[in-house]
Order: sequence, then C-alpha cells, then structure tokens
Amino acid sequence: MRVKIDPEVCQGHAMCFLACPQVFELSDEDGHAFVADENVPPEFEHAVEQAVRSCPEGAITTF
Amino acid sequence: MAEGDLQPGSKQFPIELDHDTPEHAANWPERWRAIRETTPRAWTESHGGFWVATRLEDLVGIAQRDDVFSTHKELDRVTGETTGGLSIPPVPGIRSIPNESDKPEWNGIRGFINRHFAPRAVELRRQRARNFTAALVDMVIEKGHFDIVDDLTNPLPALVTMDLFGFPLEEWRAFADPFHTMVYTPASSPEFAATIKGLDHFHARVDEEVAKRRLEPKDDLLTIFATGLIDAEPLGYETIHDLAFNILAGGVDTTTALTSNTLLYLSRHPDQRQELINRPDVMPLAREEFIRYFSPIHGLARNAMSDVEVNGWKIDKGDRVLLAYSAANRDPDAFEDPEEVKLDRFPNKHVGFGAGMHRCIGSFLARMMWECMVTEVLARMPDYRVEEDKIESYHTVAKVNGWIHIPAIFTPGKKVGATIS
Repeated sequence: MRVKIDPEVCQGHAMCFLACPQVFELSDEDGHAFVADENVPPEFEHAVEQAVRSCPEGAITTF
Repeated sequence: MAEGDLQPGSKQFPIELDHDTPEHAANWPERWRAIRETTPRAWTESHGGFWVATRLEDLVGIAQRDDVFSTHKELDRVTGETTGGLSIPPVPGIRSIPNESDKPEWNGIRGFINRHFAPRAVELRRQRARNFTAALVDMVIEKGHFDIVDDLTNPLPALVTMDLFGFPLEEWRAFADPFHTMVYTPASSPEFAATIKGLDHFHARVDEEVAKRRLEPKDDLLTIFATGLIDAEPLGYETIHDLAFNILAGGVDTTTALTSNTLLYLSRHPDQRQELINRPDVMPLAREEFIRYFSPIHGLARNAMSDVEVNGWKIDKGDRVLLAYSAANRDPDAFEDPEEVKLDRFPNKHVGFGAGMHRCIGSFLARMMWECMVTEVLARMPDYRVEEDKIESYHTVAKVNGWIHIPAIFTPGKKVGATIS
C-alpha cells in the first residue's frame, strides 16, 4: 500500500496523525500533514485506512 | 417558478429557524435532527435570510469552495456597520482576521501567524499550561467545592492566551470577561452594545503594549505585531486590532466551552469518567469525540460571491449560508449513533474546528489546554460532582455552546505548590 496527501486539500485537522503517527507527520509551519515515505509498512495499513476515513477534507488517498 | 421551489426549505417555502434564541439553545440537538431529516438544505428568513447546511458532506463542500464563498467582512470604522463576515446574526463594530478575510489577503495574514499555533509551538507551551492548571486547582483543592467555569475552564485558556500575546498574566480577567459576556448575550438584546464597548479596553491595551514592543521587542505575539511584516508592509493599527481580536476570540471562550461541557458530561456519566481514568490512552480519541459532540462553535457563515451549485444544491449570488458544525457533527450519514458519546470513537471526521482554509488555527492549542484541564481534574478531584440545581448555560449558543456557571463539589485534597508566573 502507498499513501498520499493532497496538499491543496489538507487543512491540518491532524486526524491522520492521531490515526497513525508512524506514517503521517505534521508541519511545524502550519500543522498540515505530510508523509515522508509514501510506502506504508504492512503493520500500519489498517491505521492508514482509518486515517483516510477520519479526514474531514477527504485529502488522503491510498493506492 | 421551477418545480423544486415549492419544496419545504426552499426560499419560497422557508423554515422557521432562529438559532440565536434561548429556545434553540435549550433544544438544538433535536431541532437540528428534525431539520436535517426533513429539510437538510433549508432557507430561513431570520436575520436577513440565510441557508443552513446541516449535512457534513454539504458543509465541507461549501467550506472548500473558497473561490466562490467569502468570509470577508467590510467594516465602516466610523459607523461600525458591517457587511459580509462569518457571523449570523452579524456582529457590528468588529472585524476579526484572518477569519473574516479572503484570499489573497488571507494568505498574508494567516501565514504571518500560522507558525505560532503549529504543533511544535504548542508543545513548547504545554509545561507552562500544566503549571497554570495546577495553580488554579491549588486555589480550590482544599475547599472541596469550585465552579468549573469560573475557577478553571475560563481562567486557564485566558491565561494561556495572555501568555501567548505577551500581556501581563494578571490582566486576564479584564480581557476574558467582556468577551465571555459577549458570546452568550443575544445580539438583539440591549446589553449587547455594552458588551461590545467592553472590548475597547482590550484594543487600548493592545495599542499600548505594541508601542512598548516597538522600543523593546520580546518573544511574544505583541512583538511580531509591532515589528513583523505582512506582504512586505508593517502592520497598521486596524490590522493589529482585527488580528488581536481574532486570537482573543478564538482563545478565551471556545476551549472554555468544550472543557466545561466535557467535565459536566463526565459528572453525569461516572462510568465513562472511570473509563477515562483507567485508560489514559483513550484521552486523545475522547477529546475529539467531545469536540464532535458539543461543537463549541455552533456554526459560522459563508457568503456566495456568484451563483454556484454544490453537490446539486443551487445557491444564488449574495446568499448567506450558515455552516452548522453542530448539526453536521451529528449527521448519521457520517457518524454511527451520532447522538451518543463514544469515548474511543474512531474514525471521527468531525468538523468541530471548521473545514476548508479557515480551519481553526488554534486547534492544537485547544487540544493541549483541554488535556491539561481534564487530566488535572481527573487526577486531583476524581470524585467531583456537579451541583445540577445550580448550573446555568449560555442563553444563546449561536456563537459558542457554553456555560456560565457549573458549581461542583469533591473530596478536598492537598496543594502541590504551583503558582501562576
């Protein structure tokens, strides 16, 4: 599984960070989320799916 | 006339809704549920006429269309009259930015302060906020009774906000009280104008302290107001006032409302209180659940700059739309059993902090302060019990869903020797 965040849609609700801090990080500048590595380790796949379903903006997609 | 015009909730067939009334404050969950089920996209003639978005999908869809929906507020500094903005009913005499600004103005203002509210900046403030909380609890811990609002949830966010600005901490009450009163006074009441005047003191103190920072910069927000640049220009007095007001407004009453509601709920649900005490790992999920369930900011407006269609909903140029966060946060299409508090609810795509580019800039600060207060109360007064016959809620929740008084009793404990400094 791979994951990406649309930076134009993310607004920094930080729910993805709550779901899976091992994959999602928050910017020190504005709190918006990013992923350092789009490849999701198998043990975090469920948490990343939870993150997708927790984003109010719909900014996260897996592929 | 199009066929759809005679549908209930259309402009030709408006619903009866004034959300700025005591009746709405007393019954809002039931009222929103009924509206969402029958007329989820409803027009009301109240306050000059506006649409109400009660479904999560619609609300987010509108909030994300910042190219069409404006929050810009035009303020006549002489008469105090305003147009636009994000309040229904309108609040005269005041503009708050970046909330009441559109791109490209918004980019400069929001970018100017973003870093001071980002997760890292907030973590650096956590220890001080913990100390303030411990000190506030010290003031009441030997007495065995306190007022959750007056003694804890009002002062703590006010102190943290004062600290962030760089104001002397002992002035918190002079700043918090007028705002606290403003949010629960209906805009139509005679007292409302007086509460707005109470904010003059805040603006005067901002001017005084900004002038001092120009001569002697410190490490605080007042210094960046005094010395910073937005779009390569120093900040004018109006910009500083509008910016400072937005930070005060966001800081002093919303987290108060959230934490007051949380502690009242936990007094009424001792099993869930015990679950939180037993499972501190659930705290972050519970925090988001309380934000969803109580929606401290009841709803905010957008103003259509042109004719637009969102998810098939036709909105005309000039129409106002209330994004009813409190309604969307209980939308059964988005949340299972939305009228229940599930401490470990997740996923939880609530819009308690709004949506789109105006997402609450203080969200990380709010979460941190909530954690400080709830953790301290559960640790030091775990058996607190609200005196239900003495509580008093806000008379209107149109702005903030909060409480005026929540007295409680508990088994007295010992001070830990914390001080506010």
